[in-house]
Amino acid sequence: MPDFPGRISLASDKELSDFLKSVERRAFKRVVYAVRDDDAALDIVQDAMIRVAEKYCDRPAAELPLVFQRILSNATMDWFRRQKVRGALFRNFSDFESSSDDADFDLLETLAGQDEDSVTESAADSVSRAQILLLIDGEVQRLPTRQREAFLLRYWEELDVAETAAVMGCSEGSVKTHCSRAVHALAASLKTKGITL
Amino acid sequence: MNNHRPGPTPNIDALEARFALRATARLTEQADALPQDISERLRVAREQAVQRARALRTQTAVATAPSQAGLVLTWPGAGSDSGGGWWVKLGAILPLVALVAGLVLIQDWHGSNQISAAAEIDASLLADDLPPSAYSDPGFLEFLKSPQD
Repeated sequence: MPDFPGRISLASDKELSDFLKSVERRAFKRVVYAVRDDDAALDIVQDAMIRVAEKYCDRPAAELPLVFQRILSNATMDWFRRQKVRGALFRNFSDFESSSDDADFDLLETLAGQDEDSVTESAADSVSRAQILLLIDGEVQRLPTRQREAFLLRYWEELDVAETAAVMGCSEGSVKTHCSRAVHALAASLKTKGITL
Repeated sequence: MNNHRPGPTPNIDALEARFALRATARLTEQADALPQDISERLRVAREQAVQRARALRTQTAVATAPSQAGLVLTWPGAGSDSGGGWWVKLGAILPLVALVAGLVLIQDWHGSNQISAAAEIDASLLADDLPPSAYSDPGFLEFLKSPQD
C-alpha cells in the first residue's frame, strides 16, 4: 500500500504495548465468562492481540480500544463456531435469562437503601472479601450472554452506548436494555446472597 | 411506585451506573489477582503481538523504499539499472527496429544497383560511335530489323 504523506500519526510499539497491557486482564476475564475455560480464553485473547497487531497497527492509538473489543468479541464467536457448542450454550443461557426476570425486585429500593444504611447487613462480616469477590464473579458469569457483554463493555471497558452497540452489532436501545437488565439481575442475585456493594 | 420514599426519586440510570461501577470495581480487583501463570501467558501474548506489529512495520518500510527509488531509476538516461518492465518493453521493440532498419538498407542497396545499371547503359550509349538520336530514327530501326548479310 502506498504511504501517503500527511497520514495520521500511528500507534507506536509502546502505545500498542501499553494499551494491550491495560486491557489484557479484563479481556481475559471477559472471555473466561463466555467460554468458561482458562486455556481457551488465553488462546482467544492472544489471537485477538495478534489480529490487532497485524491488521490495525497502522491505526491511531485512540482507535485501538474499540477495535480490540470488536476483535475480541469476534474471536470469541469464532471459538464457539469451532467448538460447535453455540446452540447448547445459548439454550443454557436462556434458562438463566428466564429466571432472572424478577418482577418483584426493585433496584431503587436496594440501591437507595444502600446509600442510606451503608453496609450494616453486608455479608462481609462473615465471609472474607476474596469470597465475596468470587461470588460477584460467579454472578456476573451467570448473567445471560448479551446482558453480560453489554454490562462489561459499557461499565468495565467504559465504552459509550454507541461504541458498545457497534461492538455487539445491535442498536443503542438494545444496549441500554441489556445493561439495565444486567444491573437489575446482578443486584437481585447479590442481594439474595446478602452481598451489598 | 415508591410514593412513600422521602425526597426526590433518584435517577434510575444514575443508580444503575453507580451500582455497575461498584460491581466492576470488584471485578477489577478480581482481575488484578489473576494467577501468576495466566499473567505470564498474557504478557508473552502481548509481547508477541507487539513484535509482530514491529516486524510488519519494518517490512512495510523496506517494501516502500525500493518502490520509491524505482520511480527515480526508471527515467531514461538516469545512468543506472532500471526496472524489469522497462527492459521487457525494450526487448519487444528492438526486433521491430532491426526489421525496419534492414528493410531500409535493402531498399537503399536495391536503388543503388538500379542507378548504377542505368548509369552503365547511359555510359555505353554515350561512348558508342552511334549517336543516341539514331535510335529514334524510323529508318535506322528498319535497318536494324532487316536481315543482315
